Amino acid sequence: MNIEPNDHVTDWLPAYALGILSDAECEAVESHLPSCQACREELAAYARVVEALPAGMVLHIPPADLKDKVMQRIHRTAQAAPQKAERTWWRRLKDAFRPATTAWGWVSFVLVLFLAFGNLFAWQRLSALERRVSADLITIALQGTEVTPQATGLLVVSRDGRHGTLVVDGLPALDAVHQYQLWLIRDGERDSGGVFAVDTEGYGSLWIEAPQPLLEYSAFGITIEPAGGSAGPTGDKVLGGERSG
Amino acid sequence: MDYKTLDDVSLIARIAHADEGALDELYQRYSRLVFSVALHSLGEATLAEEVTQEVFLRIWKKAETYRASHAKVYTWIVAITRNRAIDILRQARRRPQIDPLPWVDQDSLKMHASEDIELEIEDAIQHQRLRAALAKLPKAQREALAYAFFGGFSHQEIADLLAQPLGTVKTRIRLAMQRLKQALQFGDEGDEPSTRT
Repeated sequence: MNIEPNDHVTDWLPAYALGILSDAECEAVESHLPSCQACREELAAYARVVEALPAGMVLHIPPADLKDKVMQRIHRTAQAAPQKAERTWWRRLKDAFRPATTAWGWVSFVLVLFLAFGNLFAWQRLSALERRVSADLITIALQGTEVTPQATGLLVVSRDGRHGTLVVDGLPALDAVHQYQLWLIRDGERDSGGVFAVDTEGYGSLWIEAPQPLLEYSAFGITIEPAGGSAGPTGDKVLGGERSG
Repeated sequence: MDYKTLDDVSLIARIAHADEGALDELYQRYSRLVFSVALHSLGEATLAEEVTQEVFLRIWKKAETYRASHAKVYTWIVAITRNRAIDILRQARRRPQIDPLPWVDQDSLKMHASEDIELEIEDAIQHQRLRAALAKLPKAQREALAYAFFGGFSHQEIADLLAQPLGTVKTRIRLAMQRLKQALQFGDEGDEPSTRT
């Protein structure tokens, strides 16, 4: 069956949702979908069917020793390649302050090093860092949302509000067409503070570019946006926080 | 840490940070689902065991790539399982041993854990509707749907396996999916007389 771009693909959508169309048939469907709201809604309904189908199957009990086999393989994998080793705060902070070419950036970096020197490797969480930053810097903690409850973030801002760095932890890595975007909120208006990605461990940082001094903003949020950023928030909010005082 | 109190997304987040206790709990919740999907796809318990191991190993390695905004955890796990089982099926290049009628019409499995009770209830209602609708499908439609879902076979491959005309297979799958879609959307109101093929 050949279809023209303006033809609806209704009859193909069940098989498309099941993932059983040929490559050519998939291309035909995918070329039509962007321009057709009705077919997109129809496809979403069929996708819900496919998602629910396992609820209708006969269930089988796996062998009792299978869990031990799974855990043994995980242990072997961990021993062979400890990929999940925590990155030290030394490295994270170094990355975070890499763009610091200004005098403040350098002073801040040295200050953080000084603060870190006594107990750097004991720092495991951003909250610990927050407690130790001196009065020369202002910190604003960001909390994960229901979308990313495990995520945390910290904004470190110079006392004059002219410079700032964002460090995040526990955010999922995004695909190539999405980035995280920082929003600076003032009187209900949102300015972009820049876009960034996180690595596979969930860590990321951003040297903030703000149109106004950062201390003029009362709240901060991070959303998932198309790569390059959006004019205003459009995706899921993953972190947020307010400046106290 | 009482992992049983954590929802699925929180477990995945902990697994991303190498928390074996979280993986243990996720295994308790989803091993039956993974093993069953694999067994229905491959028809051999030893292969299903192998797929189950690979799926949880992949979850362990790739937990940080999971995005709650795109899919529920159980949907993500089913997709991983189905893809791996279908890969093995295609590599084996032999006639599949898919159970032609793997569907059940009784309440069988809590599919996932969420902090959102309303969402859980809604899912439970939807799953009951789906099971009821599956039970009412003609046997030929359920069989074709099983080959499509568990085997990932194309229309032509299913037609060859069932020794049926291509058009008949396409119609069976389309009608089955339409009936199930109506059932999820409208419940019993969508339970209209079907065309039996």
